[in-house]
Amino acid sequence: MRYLTFALTKGRLADKTLEALEKIGIGCEEMHDKTSRKLIFVNEEKKLKFFLAKGPDVPTYVEHGAADIGVTGKDIIMEENRQIYEVLDLGFGKCRMCVCGPAEAGSLLKHQEMIKVASKYPRIARDYFHNKKHQTVDIIKLNGSIELAPIVGLTDVIVDIVETGTTLKENGLQVLEEVCPLSARMVVNQVSMRMETERIRWIINELKKNLN
Amino acid sequence: MDNRLLHTPEGVRDIYGDELQKKLKLERILHKKVASFGYHDIETPSFEYFDIFSREIGTTPSREIYKFFDSENNTLALRPDFTPGVARATNKYFMEDIHPIRLCYMGNTFSNRSDLQGKLKEVTELGVEYMREPSVDADAEMIDMTVELLKTAGLDEFQICIGTVEYFRGLCEAAGLDRETEEALSDHIRNKNYFGIQDVLNDVKMPADIKKTLTSFSDYFGNVDVLDEAAERVKKVPRSLAAIDRLKALYEKLKIYGVQNYLTFDLGMISQHDYYTGILFQAYTFGTGEPIVRGGRYDNLLGRFGKPGAAVGFTVVVDQLLNTLNQQHIVIDRDCNNALVVYDRDSFEAAVRESGSLRLDGVHAEMILNSPDMTQASINAYAQEIHAAKIYRIRGGKTEVQKI
Repeated sequence: MRYLTFALTKGRLADKTLEALEKIGIGCEEMHDKTSRKLIFVNEEKKLKFFLAKGPDVPTYVEHGAADIGVTGKDIIMEENRQIYEVLDLGFGKCRMCVCGPAEAGSLLKHQEMIKVASKYPRIARDYFHNKKHQTVDIIKLNGSIELAPIVGLTDVIVDIVETGTTLKENGLQVLEEVCPLSARMVVNQVSMRMETERIRWIINELKKNLN
Repeated sequence: MDNRLLHTPEGVRDIYGDELQKKLKLERILHKKVASFGYHDIETPSFEYFDIFSREIGTTPSREIYKFFDSENNTLALRPDFTPGVARATNKYFMEDIHPIRLCYMGNTFSNRSDLQGKLKEVTELGVEYMREPSVDADAEMIDMTVELLKTAGLDEFQICIGTVEYFRGLCEAAGLDRETEEALSDHIRNKNYFGIQDVLNDVKMPADIKKTLTSFSDYFGNVDVLDEAAERVKKVPRSLAAIDRLKALYEKLKIYGVQNYLTFDLGMISQHDYYTGILFQAYTFGTGEPIVRGGRYDNLLGRFGKPGAAVGFTVVVDQLLNTLNQQHIVIDRDCNNALVVYDRDSFEAAVRESGSLRLDGVHAEMILNSPDMTQASINAYAQEIHAAKIYRIRGGKTEVQKI
């Protein structure tokens, strides 16, 4: 039997994913050892391999077939826009992609005037403003602390992930519009789906049963 | 180092030595196989008017096509694939023919895709087009050829997955979906995002049984039995039912060819392009993240070039197939029959005669003028590098044969 390889997103998402996988009996002991410096973890009995990657790299590994299955956020799947199958909403890691800014920026979204938008997700931002709102925007890509942008006057609004909204509130910002809901998704390589149909389907179905 | 005289641009590369030997060999055996099915070679230009590949006709997004202008300011395009050019040529040169036309081609295609994704922008494709033959027999020939080609290349574990656009289109028509919903739905079905399908259909009004069929697309993927199940659910949708009947007929024909063990069916394999009108198929194997063969039926394409007609075909990306064979450790024998003829300055005439007679015997004789920089060791090393079996050392007009 071939190994099935999983690419998991480093951090909280990986812990949650492992929890879900353990519930259906396909965990990986090796991964609980937090001091380990291993890069690949193996479950010899079930012929599974696991590795941890940065979120945006997960779709890349899966698209190229370096991993058969991946778990990452919907935000990343949308932003990366790769040729992969998105087969399951895992239900955890729930949050929202939103347009945020100071309350007075709300009026800027009502007309189709040109505004400046900061985001870590330029593709999602552009798609939302161009195709849903038909508004012309100037997008500035930032890599972190996006909330700063409207505060220091870099842009009018931001497009970013909102979980609780506390950071926004503390900085005098608010959610102006919701772009879409987000959560963790399981993605599968298109060739793996055909060549390992039985095993992958079993995993999807078992996980699905546990969700409901 | 940023030396533009030495480096090639991102996405293109030099191929030489062993790798090229293997690639050429693979091209030869693939070409021989398609020719054995009665396909005739055609060469179309590397660039044509952009309109030939435009959105209504081709499948490559405009921004991925290399475009430039000629002196009269026409927009030209480097071909992103062969099919539109071959279709144009078919209608130009075989307008009056009443027989079906079988053509095959091999050459490079170009796509201007984004950098840093580990994908080539210039690749070699081999493909076939079977035109003016709408029957299921033609579809079957495509699938059988695909199996034969992959076997010839040395692959043994692979799968051909067959789908059709007609089943899905029939359902959309029966549901009376607008264009936008149909596109959203087709995106989700193509990406196997079954919960996404549910979301799209939640607020759409349509007959309950059709909604159920649309939300059950995950069931229409597997061996031939899924066809019966899928047919059961569309008894009242003639277009979808006809699509299933066609696939079943195809399966029967493929049993005659004896290739049924390589087949799976997936009715969720649909295209985002209007281009395709019937079956779609792809071949998969281990060691690559992408399909290694893609094909389908496009009966509307020829009509764009003046005379309507059916067409079905497929392409193999040779570079990708070669890569896959390497990944699976499948060896392609190089046809090599090389020899070195190393001669001293005074033995030129003897070397020419020796090489001439070797070449008559089909040996690739490479003449090397001996120089003080060369040693026996360096000559041996070079002979090994080019896989030469023998060195013909010529001194004072006499030949000494050294075996490697």
